[in-house]
Amino acid sequence: MAKLTRNGFLKQASAGAATIGALTALPGLAATAHAAPKTTVEADLSAATLREPLVAYVREAASGEISLLVGTREITLHNPELVMQLIRAAR
Amino acid sequence: MSSHREAPEISKDPVADNTDFYAFVSPDMQNTVTLISNYIPFEAPDGGPNYYEFGEDVLYEIHIDNTGDAVADVTYQFRFHTEVRNPNTFLYNTGPITSLDSPNWNRRQFYTVTRVKNGKSTVLGSHLASPPCNVGPRSTPDYAMLAGAAVHNLGGISVFAGQRLEGFYIDVGAIFDLGDLRPFQNLHLIPTPATLAVDSTKAVNVHSIAIRVPISHLTRDGSTPTNQADSRAVIGGWCTASRQKMRMMGDMRMSGNMHLGPWTQVSRMAHPLINEVVVPMGKKDFWNTTAPKDDAQFVAGAQHPELAGLLPVLYPKVFPNLAAYTAPRADLVAILMTGIPAGIVPGFQNFTGKTLADMLRLNVAIPPAAKPSPAGVVGGDLAGYPNGRRVFDDVFTIELRAIAGVTIPLVDKTFTPDAAASKVSDNLTPAADRYLSTFPYLGTPKDGFNTPSN
Repeated sequence: MAKLTRNGFLKQASAGAATIGALTALPGLAATAHAAPKTTVEADLSAATLREPLVAYVREAASGEISLLVGTREITLHNPELVMQLIRAAR
Repeated sequence: MSSHREAPEISKDPVADNTDFYAFVSPDMQNTVTLISNYIPFEAPDGGPNYYEFGEDVLYEIHIDNTGDAVADVTYQFRFHTEVRNPNTFLYNTGPITSLDSPNWNRRQFYTVTRVKNGKSTVLGSHLASPPCNVGPRSTPDYAMLAGAAVHNLGGISVFAGQRLEGFYIDVGAIFDLGDLRPFQNLHLIPTPATLAVDSTKAVNVHSIAIRVPISHLTRDGSTPTNQADSRAVIGGWCTASRQKMRMMGDMRMSGNMHLGPWTQVSRMAHPLINEVVVPMGKKDFWNTTAPKDDAQFVAGAQHPELAGLLPVLYPKVFPNLAAYTAPRADLVAILMTGIPAGIVPGFQNFTGKTLADMLRLNVAIPPAAKPSPAGVVGGDLAGYPNGRRVFDDVFTIELRAIAGVTIPLVDKTFTPDAAASKVSDNLTPAADRYLSTFPYLGTPKDGFNTPSN
Protein backbone atom coordinates (compact mmCIF):
# COMPACT_ATOMS: atom_id res chain seq x y z
CA MET A 1 0.00 0.00 0.00
CA ALA A 2 1.54 3.28 -1.06
CA LYS A 3 1.86 5.95 1.61
CA LEU A 4 1.65 9.51 0.37
CA THR A 5 2.03 12.87 2.02
CA ARG A 6 -0.46 15.60 1.29
CA ASN A 7 2.13 17.50 -0.69
CA GLY A 8 3.04 14.44 -2.67
CA PHE A 9 -0.59 13.74 -3.34
CA LEU A 10 -1.26 17.26 -4.54
CA LYS A 11 1.84 17.16 -6.67
CA GLN A 12 0.69 13.91 -8.23
CA ALA A 13 -2.75 15.34 -8.83
CA SER A 14 -1.40 18.46 -10.48
CA ALA A 15 0.71 16.26 -12.70
CA GLY A 16 -2.43 14.96 -14.30
CA ALA A 17 -3.76 12.29 -11.97
CA ALA A 18 -7.51 12.21 -11.61
CA THR A 19 -7.80 12.13 -7.85
CA ILE A 20 -8.68 15.77 -7.16
CA GLY A 21 -11.07 15.83 -10.04
CA ALA A 22 -12.97 12.89 -8.64
CA LEU A 23 -12.92 14.14 -5.08
CA THR A 24 -14.24 17.55 -6.03
CA ALA A 25 -17.21 15.87 -7.60
CA LEU A 26 -18.46 15.40 -4.04
CA PRO A 27 -20.92 18.18 -3.14
CA GLY A 28 -19.11 19.30 -0.01
CA LEU A 29 -15.79 19.36 -1.71
CA ALA A 30 -17.14 21.29 -4.61
CA ALA A 31 -17.90 24.12 -2.22
CA THR A 32 -14.39 23.95 -0.89
CA ALA A 33 -12.94 23.89 -4.33
CA HIS A 34 -14.84 27.02 -5.17
CA ALA A 35 -12.79 28.78 -2.54
CA ALA A 36 -9.87 28.45 -4.90
CA PRO A 37 -9.74 30.64 -8.00
CA LYS A 38 -12.61 29.31 -10.03
CA THR A 39 -10.89 29.51 -13.34
CA THR A 40 -7.94 27.43 -12.07
CA VAL A 41 -10.15 24.68 -10.69
CA GLU A 42 -12.22 24.49 -13.82
CA ALA A 43 -9.11 24.40 -15.91
CA ASP A 44 -7.73 21.57 -13.75
CA LEU A 45 -10.97 19.64 -14.04
CA SER A 46 -11.20 20.04 -17.75
CA ALA A 47 -7.61 18.88 -18.11
CA ALA A 48 -8.03 15.95 -15.74
CA THR A 49 -8.67 12.54 -17.16
CA LEU A 50 -10.57 10.11 -14.96
CA ARG A 51 -9.55 6.83 -16.51
CA GLU A 52 -11.42 4.78 -13.94
CA PRO A 53 -13.64 5.48 -10.96
CA LEU A 54 -12.12 6.42 -7.64
CA VAL A 55 -13.44 6.05 -4.10
CA ALA A 56 -12.12 7.88 -1.07
CA TYR A 57 -12.49 6.00 2.19
CA VAL A 58 -12.14 7.50 5.67
CA ARG A 59 -11.97 4.74 8.25
CA GLU A 60 -11.29 6.83 11.34
CA ALA A 61 -11.51 10.60 11.38
CA ALA A 62 -8.95 11.06 14.14
CA SER A 63 -6.23 9.42 12.07
CA GLY A 64 -6.51 12.05 9.37
CA GLU A 65 -6.02 9.30 6.83
CA ILE A 66 -7.88 8.82 3.58
CA SER A 67 -7.61 5.69 1.48
CA LEU A 68 -8.08 6.12 -2.22
CA LEU A 69 -9.23 3.01 -4.03
CA VAL A 70 -8.62 3.15 -7.74
CA GLY A 71 -8.13 0.24 -10.12
CA THR A 72 -6.42 -2.46 -8.12
CA ARG A 73 -4.53 0.04 -5.98
CA GLU A 74 -5.06 1.51 -2.54
CA ILE A 75 -3.28 4.77 -1.85
CA THR A 76 -3.29 6.13 1.69
CA LEU A 77 -2.70 9.79 2.27
CA HIS A 78 -2.51 11.76 5.50
CA ASN A 79 -4.64 14.87 5.13
CA PRO A 80 -6.59 15.95 8.24
CA GLU A 81 -7.86 19.05 6.46
CA LEU A 82 -9.38 17.04 3.64
CA VAL A 83 -10.82 14.57 6.14
CA MET A 84 -12.57 17.43 7.92
CA GLN A 85 -13.92 18.73 4.62
CA LEU A 86 -15.35 15.31 3.82
CA ILE A 87 -16.91 15.01 7.25
CA ARG A 88 -18.54 18.40 6.87
CA ALA A 89 -19.83 17.42 3.45
CA ALA A 90 -21.31 14.23 4.85
CA ARG A 91 -23.33 15.99 7.56
CA MET B 1 -18.20 -30.54 3.90
CA SER B 2 -14.61 -30.49 2.78
CA SER B 3 -14.62 -26.71 2.61
CA HIS B 4 -18.08 -26.08 1.25
CA ARG B 5 -19.82 -23.20 3.00
CA GLU B 6 -17.27 -23.66 5.76
CA ALA B 7 -17.23 -20.12 7.11
CA PRO B 8 -20.06 -17.67 7.72
CA GLU B 9 -19.04 -14.96 5.28
CA ILE B 10 -17.85 -17.08 2.36
CA SER B 11 -20.99 -19.22 2.59
CA LYS B 12 -22.79 -16.16 1.21
CA ASP B 13 -20.42 -15.88 -1.74
CA PRO B 14 -20.51 -19.20 -3.62
CA VAL B 15 -18.47 -18.19 -6.67
CA ALA B 16 -15.53 -17.36 -4.41
CA ASP B 17 -16.06 -20.27 -2.02
CA ASN B 18 -13.39 -22.85 -2.74
CA THR B 19 -14.74 -26.24 -1.85
CA ASP B 20 -11.89 -28.66 -2.54
CA PHE B 21 -8.26 -28.64 -3.58
CA TYR B 22 -6.49 -31.57 -5.20
CA ALA B 23 -2.83 -32.12 -6.06
CA PHE B 24 -1.51 -35.40 -7.42
CA VAL B 25 0.91 -36.88 -9.90
CA SER B 26 -1.18 -37.38 -13.02
CA PRO B 27 -1.80 -41.12 -13.40
CA ASP B 28 -1.74 -41.03 -17.18
CA MET B 29 1.14 -38.56 -17.55
CA GLN B 30 3.47 -39.23 -14.69
CA ASN B 31 5.93 -36.43 -15.41
CA THR B 32 3.17 -33.95 -14.59
CA VAL B 33 1.18 -32.82 -11.57
CA THR B 34 -2.51 -31.99 -11.72
CA LEU B 35 -3.84 -29.22 -9.51
CA ILE B 36 -7.60 -28.70 -9.16
CA SER B 37 -9.48 -26.10 -7.18
CA ASN B 38 -13.25 -26.30 -7.00
CA TYR B 39 -15.80 -23.56 -6.39
CA ILE B 40 -19.57 -23.08 -6.04
CA PRO B 41 -20.74 -25.70 -3.53
CA PHE B 42 -23.84 -27.84 -4.00
CA GLU B 43 -24.75 -26.84 -7.54
CA ALA B 44 -28.20 -28.25 -8.24
CA PRO B 45 -27.90 -29.47 -11.85
CA ASP B 46 -31.29 -27.98 -12.72
CA GLY B 47 -30.41 -24.55 -11.38
CA GLY B 48 -31.39 -22.49 -14.42
CA PRO B 49 -32.09 -20.33 -16.27
CA ASN B 50 -29.00 -18.51 -15.07
CA TYR B 51 -26.73 -21.48 -14.77
CA TYR B 52 -23.58 -21.46 -12.67
CA GLU B 53 -20.45 -19.66 -13.76
CA PHE B 54 -17.21 -18.32 -12.34
CA GLY B 55 -17.07 -14.81 -10.91
CA GLU B 56 -15.78 -12.19 -13.30
CA ASP B 57 -14.88 -10.13 -10.27
CA VAL B 58 -12.91 -12.89 -8.55
CA LEU B 59 -9.19 -13.61 -8.80
CA TYR B 60 -8.72 -17.36 -8.61
CA GLU B 61 -5.23 -18.61 -7.76
CA ILE B 62 -3.38 -21.86 -7.17
CA HIS B 63 -0.13 -21.47 -5.27
CA ILE B 64 2.90 -23.72 -5.00
CA ASP B 65 5.66 -23.42 -2.41
CA ASN B 66 8.79 -25.41 -3.19
CA THR B 67 11.14 -24.07 -0.54
CA GLY B 68 9.26 -24.94 2.66
CA ASP B 69 8.54 -21.40 3.82
CA ALA B 70 4.82 -21.54 2.96
CA VAL B 71 5.24 -18.60 0.60
CA ALA B 72 4.22 -19.11 -3.02
CA ASP B 73 7.08 -19.63 -5.45
CA VAL B 74 4.80 -20.36 -8.39
CA THR B 75 1.23 -19.09 -8.73
CA TYR B 76 -1.31 -19.76 -11.46
CA GLN B 77 -3.96 -17.07 -11.79
CA PHE B 78 -7.32 -17.43 -13.52
CA ARG B 79 -9.56 -14.51 -14.51
CA PHE B 80 -12.92 -14.93 -16.21
CA HIS B 81 -15.14 -12.80 -18.37
CA THR B 82 -18.58 -13.41 -19.78
CA GLU B 83 -19.84 -12.76 -23.28
CA VAL B 84 -23.54 -12.54 -24.10
CA ARG B 85 -24.60 -13.01 -27.70
CA ASN B 86 -28.15 -11.76 -27.35
CA PRO B 87 -29.12 -9.67 -24.34
CA ASN B 88 -32.74 -9.54 -25.50
CA THR B 89 -33.63 -13.11 -24.53
CA PHE B 90 -33.80 -14.70 -21.12
CA LEU B 91 -32.49 -17.96 -22.50
CA TYR B 92 -29.10 -19.47 -21.63
CA ASN B 93 -29.25 -21.17 -25.00
CA THR B 94 -31.61 -20.79 -27.94
CA GLY B 95 -31.07 -24.29 -29.31
CA PRO B 96 -28.79 -27.29 -28.89
CA ILE B 97 -25.20 -26.41 -27.99
CA THR B 98 -23.11 -28.71 -30.14
CA SER B 99 -19.80 -26.84 -30.02
CA LEU B 100 -18.07 -24.24 -27.89
CA ASP B 101 -18.71 -21.60 -30.56
CA SER B 102 -22.31 -22.62 -31.12
CA PRO B 103 -24.48 -19.62 -32.06
CA ASN B 104 -27.17 -21.20 -29.89
CA TRP B 105 -25.15 -20.67 -26.72
CA ASN B 106 -26.04 -17.26 -25.43
CA ARG B 107 -23.95 -16.78 -22.32
CA ARG B 108 -20.37 -17.97 -22.57
CA GLN B 109 -17.35 -17.62 -20.30
CA PHE B 110 -13.73 -17.26 -21.26
CA TYR B 111 -10.64 -17.01 -19.12
CA THR B 112 -7.01 -16.03 -18.98
CA VAL B 113 -4.32 -18.10 -17.29
CA THR B 114 -1.28 -16.31 -15.94
CA ARG B 115 1.76 -17.80 -14.23
CA VAL B 116 3.57 -15.71 -11.63
CA LYS B 117 7.09 -16.86 -10.86
CA ASN B 118 9.95 -14.90 -9.35
CA GLY B 119 7.78 -11.82 -9.45
CA LYS B 120 7.28 -12.10 -13.19
CA SER B 121 3.83 -12.61 -14.72
CA THR B 122 3.49 -14.62 -17.91
CA VAL B 123 0.18 -15.02 -19.68
CA LEU B 124 -0.03 -18.69 -20.62
CA GLY B 125 -3.33 -18.45 -22.47
CA SER B 126 -6.18 -16.03 -23.01
CA HIS B 127 -9.75 -16.13 -24.27
CA LEU B 128 -9.88 -19.81 -23.37
CA ALA B 129 -13.40 -21.16 -23.55
CA SER B 130 -15.18 -22.79 -20.64
CA PRO B 131 -17.85 -25.35 -21.48
CA PRO B 132 -21.51 -24.60 -20.80
CA CYS B 133 -23.26 -26.11 -17.83
CA ASN B 134 -24.84 -29.48 -18.46
CA VAL B 135 -28.40 -28.34 -19.05
CA GLY B 136 -30.01 -31.48 -20.49
CA PRO B 137 -30.28 -33.67 -23.58
CA ARG B 138 -31.93 -31.00 -25.73
CA SER B 139 -29.52 -28.24 -24.86
CA THR B 140 -26.25 -30.12 -24.34
CA PRO B 141 -26.78 -33.41 -26.18
CA ASP B 142 -23.10 -34.45 -26.14
CA TYR B 143 -21.73 -32.93 -23.00
CA ALA B 144 -18.58 -35.04 -22.83
CA MET B 145 -17.63 -33.76 -26.26
CA LEU B 146 -18.13 -30.14 -25.19
CA ALA B 147 -16.08 -30.64 -22.05
CA GLY B 148 -13.35 -32.37 -24.02
CA ALA B 149 -13.14 -29.43 -26.38
CA ALA B 150 -12.70 -27.18 -23.36
CA VAL B 151 -9.43 -28.86 -22.38
CA HIS B 152 -6.81 -26.47 -23.71
CA ASN B 153 -3.20 -27.33 -24.37
CA LEU B 154 -0.87 -24.45 -23.61
CA GLY B 155 2.45 -25.82 -24.75
CA GLY B 156 2.74 -28.81 -22.46
CA ILE B 157 0.29 -27.43 -19.89
CA SER B 158 -3.33 -28.53 -19.93
CA VAL B 159 -6.11 -26.40 -18.48
CA PHE B 160 -9.81 -26.79 -17.98
CA ALA B 161 -12.25 -24.51 -16.22
CA GLY B 162 -15.90 -25.40 -16.02
CA GLN B 163 -18.60 -27.53 -14.50
CA ARG B 164 -17.77 -30.98 -13.12
CA LEU B 165 -19.46 -33.61 -11.00
CA GLU B 166 -18.64 -33.20 -7.32
CA GLY B 167 -15.80 -35.55 -6.40
CA PHE B 168 -15.91 -35.26 -2.63
CA TYR B 169 -18.23 -37.77 -1.00
CA ILE B 170 -19.67 -37.64 2.47
CA ASP B 171 -22.91 -38.14 4.36
CA VAL B 172 -23.10 -34.47 5.18
CA GLY B 173 -26.66 -34.52 6.42
CA ALA B 174 -25.70 -37.01 9.09
CA ILE B 175 -22.31 -35.70 10.14
CA PHE B 176 -23.62 -32.24 10.88
CA ASP B 177 -26.53 -33.70 12.80
CA LEU B 178 -24.45 -33.88 15.95
CA GLY B 179 -21.71 -36.00 14.46
CA ASP B 180 -23.95 -38.84 13.41
CA LEU B 181 -22.54 -41.69 11.35
CA ARG B 182 -25.53 -43.68 10.13
CA PRO B 183 -23.73 -47.06 10.14
CA PHE B 184 -22.84 -46.49 13.81
CA GLN B 185 -25.72 -44.36 15.00
CA ASN B 186 -26.96 -47.12 17.27
CA LEU B 187 -23.96 -46.19 19.41
CA HIS B 188 -24.68 -42.46 19.32
CA LEU B 189 -25.59 -40.49 22.41
CA ILE B 190 -29.01 -40.03 20.80
CA PRO B 191 -29.32 -43.51 19.28
CA THR B 192 -31.35 -44.73 16.33
CA PRO B 193 -31.01 -48.02 14.48
CA ALA B 194 -27.94 -48.25 12.27
CA THR B 195 -28.54 -47.70 8.57
CA LEU B 196 -26.54 -47.23 5.41
CA ALA B 197 -24.98 -43.84 4.83
CA VAL B 198 -26.25 -41.40 2.22
CA ASP B 199 -23.88 -40.01 -0.39
CA SER B 200 -25.02 -36.42 -0.14
CA THR B 201 -22.97 -35.15 -3.06
CA LYS B 202 -23.43 -37.85 -5.67
CA ALA B 203 -25.76 -35.69 -7.78
CA VAL B 204 -24.46 -32.18 -7.30
CA ASN B 205 -21.94 -30.33 -9.42
CA VAL B 206 -19.13 -27.88 -8.82
CA HIS B 207 -17.05 -25.56 -10.95
CA SER B 208 -13.48 -26.75 -11.33
CA ILE B 209 -10.28 -25.02 -12.30
CA ALA B 210 -7.82 -27.71 -13.31
CA ILE B 211 -4.28 -27.34 -14.55
CA ARG B 212 -1.79 -30.08 -15.39
CA VAL B 213 1.80 -28.94 -15.49
CA PRO B 214 5.16 -30.65 -15.83
CA ILE B 215 6.68 -31.48 -12.45
CA SER B 216 9.76 -29.54 -13.47
CA HIS B 217 7.68 -26.35 -13.52
CA LEU B 218 6.93 -26.73 -9.84
CA THR B 219 10.11 -27.95 -8.15
CA ARG B 220 12.62 -25.53 -6.73
CA ASP B 221 15.42 -26.39 -9.15
CA GLY B 222 13.38 -27.34 -12.19
CA SER B 223 14.12 -31.02 -11.73
CA THR B 224 11.83 -34.03 -11.88
CA PRO B 225 12.87 -35.89 -8.72
CA THR B 226 12.76 -39.66 -8.60
CA ASN B 227 13.98 -40.20 -5.03
CA GLN B 228 11.18 -39.75 -2.52
CA ALA B 229 13.69 -39.01 0.24
CA ASP B 230 14.94 -35.97 -1.65
CA SER B 231 13.59 -32.79 -0.04
CA ARG B 232 13.31 -31.23 -3.49
CA ALA B 233 10.62 -33.78 -4.28
CA VAL B 234 8.11 -32.21 -1.89
CA ILE B 235 5.95 -29.27 -2.89
CA GLY B 236 3.20 -27.57 -0.93
CA GLY B 237 0.04 -26.21 -2.54
CA TRP B 238 -3.08 -24.26 -1.73
CA CYS B 239 -5.72 -22.27 -3.56
CA THR B 240 -7.24 -18.89 -2.90
CA ALA B 241 -9.99 -16.63 -4.14
CA SER B 242 -9.73 -12.88 -3.84
CA ARG B 243 -12.04 -9.96 -4.41
CA GLN B 244 -11.25 -6.32 -4.82
CA LYS B 245 -11.55 -4.42 -1.59
CA MET B 246 -14.44 -2.17 -2.62
CA ARG B 247 -17.69 -2.89 -4.39
CA MET B 248 -20.13 -0.18 -5.40
CA MET B 249 -23.58 -1.57 -6.04
CA GLY B 250 -26.15 -0.52 -8.58
CA ASP B 251 -24.39 2.24 -10.55
CA MET B 252 -25.89 1.46 -13.92
CA ARG B 253 -23.62 4.03 -15.56
CA MET B 254 -20.86 1.57 -14.66
CA SER B 255 -22.72 -1.55 -15.82
CA GLY B 256 -24.22 -2.12 -12.41
CA ASN B 257 -21.54 -2.99 -9.90
CA MET B 258 -18.08 -1.54 -9.72
CA HIS B 259 -15.00 -3.02 -8.09
CA LEU B 260 -12.03 -1.04 -6.88
CA GLY B 261 -8.90 -1.45 -4.85
CA PRO B 262 -6.36 -4.17 -4.24
CA TRP B 263 -7.21 -7.85 -4.32
CA THR B 264 -8.18 -9.11 -0.90
CA GLN B 265 -8.23 -12.81 -0.12
CA VAL B 266 -11.67 -14.07 0.89
CA SER B 267 -11.20 -17.83 0.70
CA ARG B 268 -8.37 -20.34 0.85
CA MET B 269 -7.97 -24.06 1.03
CA ALA B 270 -5.37 -26.82 1.13
CA HIS B 271 -6.21 -29.80 3.35
CA PRO B 272 -9.89 -30.75 3.40
CA LEU B 273 -11.95 -29.97 6.48
CA ILE B 274 -9.44 -27.59 8.10
CA ASN B 275 -11.46 -24.41 8.18
CA GLU B 276 -14.52 -26.60 8.43
CA VAL B 277 -13.86 -28.45 11.68
CA VAL B 278 -10.42 -27.49 12.99
CA VAL B 279 -10.84 -23.71 13.03
CA PRO B 280 -13.47 -22.44 15.49
CA MET B 281 -16.46 -20.36 14.42
CA GLY B 282 -15.05 -17.10 15.69
CA LYS B 283 -11.93 -17.39 13.53
CA LYS B 284 -13.24 -18.92 10.32
CA ASP B 285 -13.76 -15.70 8.40
CA PHE B 286 -10.39 -14.41 9.61
CA TRP B 287 -8.69 -17.67 8.62
CA ASN B 288 -9.94 -17.20 5.07
CA THR B 289 -8.07 -13.88 4.87
CA THR B 290 -4.76 -15.20 6.18
CA ALA B 291 -1.78 -16.83 4.52
CA PRO B 292 -0.38 -20.30 5.21
CA LYS B 293 2.92 -18.82 6.40
CA ASP B 294 1.03 -17.37 9.37
CA ASP B 295 -0.76 -20.57 10.34
CA ALA B 296 1.20 -21.06 13.58
CA GLN B 297 -1.53 -18.97 15.17
CA PHE B 298 -4.01 -21.77 14.41
CA VAL B 299 -1.89 -24.70 15.60
CA ALA B 300 -3.99 -25.22 18.74
CA GLY B 301 -6.84 -26.41 16.54
CA ALA B 302 -4.66 -29.25 15.27
CA GLN B 303 -3.05 -30.00 18.63
CA HIS B 304 -6.36 -30.24 20.45
CA PRO B 305 -9.08 -30.70 17.82
CA GLU B 306 -12.56 -30.12 19.09
CA LEU B 307 -13.84 -33.18 17.26
CA ALA B 308 -11.46 -35.46 19.20
CA GLY B 309 -13.13 -34.25 22.35
CA LEU B 310 -16.60 -34.64 20.92
CA LEU B 311 -16.26 -38.24 19.72
CA PRO B 312 -16.11 -39.78 23.23
CA VAL B 313 -19.10 -37.66 24.23
CA LEU B 314 -21.22 -38.41 21.19
CA TYR B 315 -20.33 -42.12 21.23
CA PRO B 316 -20.24 -43.02 24.93
CA LYS B 317 -17.84 -45.80 25.97
CA VAL B 318 -16.61 -46.19 22.39
CA PHE B 319 -13.49 -44.03 22.61
CA PRO B 320 -12.11 -44.38 26.16
CA ASN B 321 -8.46 -44.27 25.11
CA LEU B 322 -9.01 -41.18 22.99
CA ALA B 323 -10.86 -39.54 25.85
CA ALA B 324 -7.93 -40.14 28.17
CA TYR B 325 -5.33 -38.78 25.74
CA THR B 326 -4.56 -35.19 26.61
CA ALA B 327 -1.19 -34.58 24.98
CA PRO B 328 -1.00 -32.19 22.00
CA ARG B 329 -1.68 -34.12 18.82
CA ALA B 330 1.75 -34.16 17.23
CA ASP B 331 0.45 -36.64 14.66
CA LEU B 332 -2.15 -34.20 13.35
CA VAL B 333 0.29 -31.29 13.39
CA ALA B 334 2.64 -33.36 11.23
CA ILE B 335 -0.06 -34.51 8.82
CA LEU B 336 -1.70 -31.13 8.44
CA MET B 337 0.91 -28.49 9.13
CA THR B 338 4.48 -29.68 8.48
CA GLY B 339 4.21 -32.85 6.46
CA ILE B 340 5.27 -36.26 7.69
CA PRO B 341 9.02 -36.53 8.32
CA ALA B 342 11.11 -39.44 7.08
CA GLY B 343 11.22 -42.45 9.38
CA ILE B 344 7.56 -42.39 10.39
CA VAL B 345 6.01 -44.23 7.45
CA PRO B 346 8.42 -46.58 5.63
CA GLY B 347 9.30 -45.32 2.18
CA PHE B 348 7.52 -42.03 2.59
CA GLN B 349 7.99 -38.44 3.63
CA ASN B 350 6.39 -35.17 2.65
CA PHE B 351 8.04 -32.95 5.21
CA THR B 352 8.55 -29.33 4.23
CA GLY B 353 10.28 -28.11 7.38
CA LYS B 354 9.27 -26.58 10.67
CA THR B 355 7.07 -23.83 9.26
CA LEU B 356 3.56 -24.60 10.43
CA ALA B 357 1.26 -24.12 7.47
CA ASP B 358 -1.87 -25.60 6.00
CA MET B 359 -0.49 -26.75 2.67
CA LEU B 360 -1.33 -29.88 0.74
CA ARG B 361 2.10 -31.49 0.53
CA LEU B 362 2.87 -33.70 -2.41
CA ASN B 363 5.96 -35.84 -2.84
CA VAL B 364 6.18 -35.83 -6.63
CA ALA B 365 8.77 -38.64 -6.68
CA ILE B 366 6.17 -41.16 -5.57
CA PRO B 367 4.48 -42.53 -8.69
CA PRO B 368 0.76 -43.25 -8.88
CA ALA B 369 -0.21 -46.66 -7.52
CA ALA B 370 -1.13 -49.41 -9.93
CA LYS B 371 -4.12 -50.20 -7.72
CA PRO B 372 -4.91 -47.02 -5.82
CA SER B 373 -6.55 -47.18 -2.41
CA PRO B 374 -8.98 -44.40 -1.46
CA ALA B 375 -7.58 -44.77 2.06
CA GLY B 376 -4.29 -43.28 0.85
CA VAL B 377 -1.19 -43.53 3.02
CA VAL B 378 -3.01 -45.14 5.96
CA GLY B 379 -4.27 -47.73 3.47
CA GLY B 380 -0.75 -48.45 2.25
CA ASP B 381 -1.05 -46.34 -0.91
CA LEU B 382 1.71 -43.77 -0.62
CA ALA B 383 0.46 -41.86 -3.66
CA GLY B 384 -2.76 -40.89 -1.89
CA TYR B 385 -3.85 -38.47 0.78
CA PRO B 386 -2.14 -36.97 2.75
CA ASN B 387 0.49 -37.23 0.06
CA GLY B 388 -1.32 -34.60 -1.94
CA ARG B 389 -4.90 -35.54 -2.63
CA ARG B 390 -6.50 -37.43 -5.51
CA VAL B 391 -10.07 -36.89 -6.64
CA PHE B 392 -11.25 -40.23 -5.26
CA ASP B 393 -9.46 -40.23 -1.92
CA ASP B 394 -11.80 -40.85 1.01
CA VAL B 395 -10.51 -37.86 2.91
CA PHE B 396 -13.43 -37.74 5.31
CA THR B 397 -12.77 -41.24 6.59
CA ILE B 398 -9.00 -40.72 6.63
CA GLU B 399 -9.24 -37.54 8.67
CA LEU B 400 -11.98 -38.89 10.93
CA ARG B 401 -9.90 -41.94 11.78
CA ALA B 402 -6.81 -39.81 12.29
CA ILE B 403 -8.70 -37.54 14.68
CA ALA B 404 -10.12 -40.63 16.39
CA GLY B 405 -6.57 -41.68 17.17
CA VAL B 406 -5.32 -44.18 14.60
CA THR B 407 -2.31 -42.01 13.76
CA ILE B 408 -1.26 -41.21 17.32
CA PRO B 409 1.02 -44.30 17.51
CA LEU B 410 3.06 -42.85 14.64
CA VAL B 411 4.41 -40.36 17.15
CA ASP B 412 3.52 -41.92 20.51
CA LYS B 413 4.10 -45.67 20.73
CA THR B 414 2.54 -45.81 24.20
CA PHE B 415 -0.93 -45.07 22.85
CA THR B 416 -3.31 -47.82 21.82
CA PRO B 417 -6.11 -46.61 19.57
CA ASP B 418 -9.64 -47.58 20.48
CA ALA B 419 -10.96 -50.48 18.43
CA ALA B 420 -13.55 -48.21 16.84
CA ALA B 421 -10.95 -45.69 15.66
CA SER B 422 -10.00 -47.76 12.64
CA LYS B 423 -13.63 -48.49 11.80
CA VAL B 424 -15.37 -45.13 11.98
CA SER B 425 -16.49 -44.03 8.57
CA ASP B 426 -19.62 -43.30 6.65
CA ASN B 427 -18.66 -46.32 4.53
CA LEU B 428 -19.41 -44.67 1.23
CA THR B 429 -18.13 -45.98 -2.07
CA PRO B 430 -18.60 -43.55 -4.95
CA ALA B 431 -20.06 -44.81 -8.19
CA ALA B 432 -17.63 -45.85 -10.91
CA ASP B 433 -18.67 -42.99 -13.19
CA ARG B 434 -17.86 -40.38 -10.56
CA TYR B 435 -14.39 -39.80 -12.01
CA LEU B 436 -12.52 -39.83 -15.30
CA SER B 437 -9.26 -41.63 -15.96
CA THR B 438 -7.98 -38.65 -17.93
CA PHE B 439 -7.67 -34.92 -17.35
CA PRO B 440 -9.51 -33.20 -15.68
CA TYR B 441 -10.26 -36.43 -13.78
CA LEU B 442 -13.48 -35.20 -12.15
CA GLY B 443 -16.53 -36.73 -13.79
CA THR B 444 -19.09 -35.42 -16.23
CA PRO B 445 -21.50 -33.16 -14.36
CA LYS B 446 -25.05 -34.29 -13.81
CA ASP B 447 -27.47 -32.69 -16.23
CA GLY B 448 -30.43 -30.65 -15.11
CA PHE B 449 -33.07 -32.57 -17.03
CA ASN B 450 -32.28 -36.01 -15.68
CA THR B 451 -31.25 -34.93 -12.21
CA PRO B 452 -34.02 -32.97 -10.52
CA SER B 453 -32.92 -31.68 -7.17
CA ASN B 454 -35.13 -34.05 -5.22
